Amino acid sequence: MNYSNVLTTCPYCGAGCNLYLEVLDGKVVGTLPCKTDIISEGKLCIKGWNAHSFINHPDRLTKPLVKKDGKFHETKWEEALRSVADNLTKIKGKYGPNSIALLSSAKCTNEENYLVQKFARSVIGTNNVDHCARL
Amino acid sequence: MDTNAFKPKVLVFTCNWCSYAGADLAGVSRLQIKPYFRVIRTMCSGRVNPELVLEALAKGADGVLVLGCHLGDCHYITGNHRAIKRMAMLRKLLEHFGISSLRVKLDFVSAGEAQRFQSVVSNFIDGIIALGPNPLK
Amino acid sequence: MKDKLRKIIDEWLETKKVDGVVGLTEEKENIKPHLFQKGDTSFIALTPKYPLASVMMLLQEHYPEKRFGIIARECDIRAMVELHKREKKIDIERVDIIGIACTKKEVEECACDFPYPHMAEVIVGEKIEIETKNLSVDRLLNMELNERLFFWKYQFDKCMKCYGCRNACPLCICSECVLEDDLWVKGGRIPPPFPLFHLIRAVHTSGRCIGCGECEKACPMDIPLTTLYTLLRNNVKELFDYNAGIELDKEIPLLTTLDETPMKEEG
Repeated sequence: MNYSNVLTTCPYCGAGCNLYLEVLDGKVVGTLPCKTDIISEGKLCIKGWNAHSFINHPDRLTKPLVKKDGKFHETKWEEALRSVADNLTKIKGKYGPNSIALLSSAKCTNEENYLVQKFARSVIGTNNVDHCARL
Repeated sequence: MDTNAFKPKVLVFTCNWCSYAGADLAGVSRLQIKPYFRVIRTMCSGRVNPELVLEALAKGADGVLVLGCHLGDCHYITGNHRAIKRMAMLRKLLEHFGISSLRVKLDFVSAGEAQRFQSVVSNFIDGIIALGPNPLK
Repeated sequence: MKDKLRKIIDEWLETKKVDGVVGLTEEKENIKPHLFQKGDTSFIALTPKYPLASVMMLLQEHYPEKRFGIIARECDIRAMVELHKREKKIDIERVDIIGIACTKKEVEECACDFPYPHMAEVIVGEKIEIETKNLSVDRLLNMELNERLFFWKYQFDKCMKCYGCRNACPLCICSECVLEDDLWVKGGRIPPPFPLFHLIRAVHTSGRCIGCGECEKACPMDIPLTTLYTLLRNNVKELFDYNAGIELDKEIPLLTTLDETPMKEEG
């Protein structure tokens, strides 16, 4: 019998409310606010209340996929990254760097977002970088 | 007739077996009622969930009247029992909220009571005219 | 009080009277719900209170053959009684309750009517006998109709539709909530169209509300929900002589006929 509440930070916005993930037998089943948290004071917004829902969601990607003949096939990381790098190089060569845009996410860490914009500006050479919070 | 007078919009939910038949008989008998109401037929007064009444008030109805069978006559035996309890709670809630509970009423009209339909609806409409327009509008 | 509780829990787990005890614990200065099992030396905490009835419902659903204990305040006990009546979401026969009495400060803060556990195997703590006055309810009752409407419009305009009140409520257990139905509550508008969202919620919780106050504590905009729900609880008491969560054998008035649960005054 395994029930526990694990303290974590909500991945969605910059406020950083602490919340508890209810874990029952190794699976996340719900969310509880943290009543002693100084930031949230036991309250959560709608994104915080549903922060657990994407963990085991059926639509969540779990393996790299590459499109062949119009259909997605599971593949290994090396092949997927090689495919992305080859195609981006081709597009950059044919249409110029500004034909590529990068979209990042609030669920990524600050370090990951820094990498995204560095990749966009230094490697690809474009300013077209944006974030889901602005959309 | 004063054309600037307040013309209320009253919604009347009638149950299929008793009050709708009573309304129909009132119409056939050419009984005169002020034309400020619309009838919506439901199968039973117990089918009228509180969301229907609240949405009617939120969308601008000045009054909502729910007409059902007399106690003991309900086609579904206990549908009107549910309606009675529900409407009682709803009226108390509206009063706490700042909407007069006189805007919502539950009454009983049977299939042969055309005169009663006329008097119940007319009295209700007069009451709504006295109350004035819906404050939620 | 915590030492007494520690002794009771250890004894119950040792003698296998229960397989686990639901309570609160402290971890790194944060308080959270916890399942104490045999050999568990975690710290027992008492405040701030959480809606433990929801935790019990989850555990009983997942482990139907186990027996649980719970360190419950009176509001948790009321929630469990009410859940037992509604499709036996909690089987209260399979729960051993350790009741804890609320302190004077807690009773005044919640303006609670019944702060002492009324059905528990063992009760820890002194009974507090004080008259509680709910100032916001009195203030509302003294307002005229249009003042009340203005007050609620001002309050409910703050709402950001986080569903915190619904999620925190121990009695909101419907698998398909009407507040998520696009027919009544259209998506994409903040604040939700006045006054439908809140009136619908108030109607659906009448008869269910046990007065734990979790809804107001979970509201990020500090909307005084307990004021409205206290008034509705008083109405249920006046109309049907029914106190939600107190008597285990009394039928739910809004789900039964007038012969089974008569109405006292004309609505």
